[in-house]
Amino acid sequence: MLKHHIKLFFRNLARNKSTFFINLVGLSSGLTCVLLVFLWVSDELNKDRFHVNKERLYQVFRNVPNGQGSLNTYGSNSSLMLTSLQEEVPEVEKAVAVFGINGNAMLQTEDKKLGSTGFFASEDYFNLFSIPLLSGDANEVLQDINAIVISKEMAKTLFGTNTYPIGKNLIIKSGVNSFEDLFTVTGIFEIPKNSSENFDFVLPYKRFLKDRDPQDIHWGSNSSSMYALLEEGVKIDALNSKIKDFIKKKDSENQASVFFGLYTDNYLQNRFVGGKRSGGRITYVILLSIIAFFILCIACINFMNLSTAKASKRIKEIGVKKVIGAKRNALILQFLTESVLLACFSLTVACAIVVLILPWFSDVTGKELEFPLNSGFILVLLGVAFLTGLFAGSYPALYLTKFEAIKVLKGKLPTSFGELIIRKGLVIFQFSISILLIVAVSIIYLQLDFIQSKNLGFEKDQVITFERQDGLAYNMETFLEKARNIPGVVNASYMQGNMTNFSNSSSNHRWPGQSEESKKLTFRHAHVGPSFIETMGIEIKEGRSYIDEIPNTNSKIVLNETAVKLMGLENPIGTVIDMRGPNREIIGVVKDFNIQSLYEEITPMALLCRNEWISTLLVKIRKGEEKRTLTALSKLYEEFNPGLAFNFQFLDAQYQQLYVAEQRVASLSKYFAALAILISCLGLFGLAAFTAQLRKKEISIRKVLGQTAAQAFIMLSGEFVKLVVLAMIVTLPIAYALANDWLSDFAYRIPLRIWYFLGAGFVALFIALFTVVGQAAMTANSSPVKALRQE
Amino acid sequence: MLLSLKNIFKWVNSGGQRIFLLKDINLEVLEGEFISIMGPSGSGKSTLLNVIGMLDGFDEGEYHFLDESVHTLKEKHRANLYKEYIGFVFQSYHLLDDLTVKENLEMPLLYKKFSSSERKAMVADMLDRFNIVGKKDLFPAQLSGGQQQLVGIARALISSPKLILADEPTGNLNSKQGEEIMALFKQLNDEGVTIIQVTHSEKNADYGSRIINLLDGRMI
Repeated sequence: MLKHHIKLFFRNLARNKSTFFINLVGLSSGLTCVLLVFLWVSDELNKDRFHVNKERLYQVFRNVPNGQGSLNTYGSNSSLMLTSLQEEVPEVEKAVAVFGINGNAMLQTEDKKLGSTGFFASEDYFNLFSIPLLSGDANEVLQDINAIVISKEMAKTLFGTNTYPIGKNLIIKSGVNSFEDLFTVTGIFEIPKNSSENFDFVLPYKRFLKDRDPQDIHWGSNSSSMYALLEEGVKIDALNSKIKDFIKKKDSENQASVFFGLYTDNYLQNRFVGGKRSGGRITYVILLSIIAFFILCIACINFMNLSTAKASKRIKEIGVKKVIGAKRNALILQFLTESVLLACFSLTVACAIVVLILPWFSDVTGKELEFPLNSGFILVLLGVAFLTGLFAGSYPALYLTKFEAIKVLKGKLPTSFGELIIRKGLVIFQFSISILLIVAVSIIYLQLDFIQSKNLGFEKDQVITFERQDGLAYNMETFLEKARNIPGVVNASYMQGNMTNFSNSSSNHRWPGQSEESKKLTFRHAHVGPSFIETMGIEIKEGRSYIDEIPNTNSKIVLNETAVKLMGLENPIGTVIDMRGPNREIIGVVKDFNIQSLYEEITPMALLCRNEWISTLLVKIRKGEEKRTLTALSKLYEEFNPGLAFNFQFLDAQYQQLYVAEQRVASLSKYFAALAILISCLGLFGLAAFTAQLRKKEISIRKVLGQTAAQAFIMLSGEFVKLVVLAMIVTLPIAYALANDWLSDFAYRIPLRIWYFLGAGFVALFIALFTVVGQAAMTANSSPVKALRQE
Repeated sequence: MLLSLKNIFKWVNSGGQRIFLLKDINLEVLEGEFISIMGPSGSGKSTLLNVIGMLDGFDEGEYHFLDESVHTLKEKHRANLYKEYIGFVFQSYHLLDDLTVKENLEMPLLYKKFSSSERKAMVADMLDRFNIVGKKDLFPAQLSGGQQQLVGIARALISSPKLILADEPTGNLNSKQGEEIMALFKQLNDEGVTIIQVTHSEKNADYGSRIINLLDGRMI
């Protein structure tokens, strides 16, 4: 019997090649989307899941009132937190402190030099996090104050051997901390592929504390991340309410409340709003899954629509079989077999496409995805194909087999009103999804474009930025002096952190006339060079910049507009404020500038002219002279950092990286939207072709009775236009709501205009029209005699 | 007795009026009979044939088939009954275009419980009997009308029904082909198969043992 079904499937296929082709293209593109998104989503969902204790592994977060009525959430904590957690919270089994070095440490052996990233971590790091040690004991590798644990790759690059370089020495220089010391390798680790964090070395936390100015160790100085492994069976809500005031009890001035957040949530739910996790990457995981599912639905609908529309071609077979003795179940089974077979076919094609375009897809998503050939995945594949086949085949199978044999044998196919509604409804659904995707893509692009072109309050063009490394750790000022003398360099300066992702903050500052509420005010707190404001082209609103204050900059401060406003200072210039350390006189107020992604509002900011903790150098170069200037800069860099490549980045490129997730989603959804509309149109094309054929006689009669070809054409294409317009009406409110929701995450966003939505609708309408006009014109122009004679 | 119809009425309601398709039909058919149903267009010939074949229901009356009272049977049992005992031959043959002659013959057996080797034997038997072995791998479109009808009849016979119902079996054929098909019916009837056919042609009706004339749904 199965053989019979399969045989019929193939013969049918040979007879209806175009329908088969439409279905195959549709279903295989749908399945390709599903497979790609499946690979992507499972990669995202698997991030950090390798940690053995993932259910009990938490990070300590602080919620701090930002003085503007809301809470800011920080992952950083005072280094004092470590011992307090270990000693005072019985629910904590083990705790670990991590201090990240800002990406610019030099690892050096006798003959090699390598810029690399790493951090200081306390003893239990490798016990808490399941990062496998290829050599060394997790309990011991970070015990010694001069120990270093390095990655397998680092070991190979620096020491070049295949044996693990345990006991070998290397020097680490860090520009930010002006720190240079000799370390001995105690362990080698290998970071699992699905780790969200990537680093080259780990140093003992003790070593960090040793260099730390004791003045800087207090509850208000938050430099480290704290992680805790909780005891088994600890109820997290109870613990969080118990621990809430942990910091306030230690430091009555401190406003921060504390909570534990699951470490494995950090990757997918990386955004906090009002002190709670509020989405992040997970939004895109869900979004893309839904899109892939819908695209598959669109393809399945094509199958349903074409199969039912072409019913008359199969109906005789069904009638004969029924008379001859087939039960309805047997016929349903036959149709389902056919659709499952088609799905399997499509799956094969889809797999081939996926294998072909996976490198491209990995590139677009910024992941290293591979086609897994394990039994689990193959099972998933077969499951997907089977379900797709069942879903796509269900409606045709039930619909086609329900008629009485006697009726269909007479050649009459009863078309019920309900069935017409279903078929049209399905087309409307397809186009609704397509329009929705077009709207989504355009809104995302418009918003990204807006972000790209928004005036940030500083000039991001023509500025190059590079890390303070190696020789620059000692001779930064000299380097900048020489750099400024290069023709083509407009200005040069330095700063703590960098211009696109700045997180350092401070609070508990005092000034005259301070209100109770503004005592809580948190400031972004940046150390910058004296000519920073000039180099970045930041506008001064009142007062002056640091440039004329040298060398007395230590007693001066520059604030931004928002800071002055929230501090309630009417005449800020000359006011002396307490910024932890020497009192400082406000000499200038700069206009607000965006130093965060545009998801965030501008916060109060203080620019302090100091050269400690500087991590980034900024050089502004003249337009049109880039090449010559960069060559000269590179040469100068080489003088200061022998053997080190001049690794710089243009600031606007760095700025774009802030929105890399959005850009990826934008380009992905662009392809998905194109695919959705393509599949929808394929279906529409098939349907139009078939309707044209069905209505040939009707059109002929109409023409004999005086209808012109033009009228017939309008009548035929009008049918489909109606469907697309209906789809437009259904979709636009939904699209508006979704777009509004997505945009509301941004502090700076484009206004939604009605024509974005209408535009998307018209694009869909236009493409749909384009699809059906050929068919409609052919039918409208055909000779009526021919069609009537065929009867 | 093979079947009996008693006071069969069938009607449709159209525009508040009851239009009778069959009116008070009384008919008894014995095994081995060859009956021809005649009458003008719209007189209810095909309807009667469909009622006998249980493809269509009726509104009033009693129908017994092999001692089963069809009118009390549920749809499913009725279908089982006709599938087992009745073979159909159609005016337009109704062969499946995508299947070869051999496969068309085999198809009814697929829905009954026969093993693959049994099916092969039965199909070979039938091909032999109708002298179409040479055509077994051709598709219907490659056959003449007469040959197609031959296959149609072979297909109706393959599961050895007690009754063959034929709705204008020669309607689409030329006279020579028609005669051949009728001769075949005659031969089958001689071998013991009961046949009821609907026909317009007096000549074809003469092959049968009994003629039933219908006018406006009534036997005359």
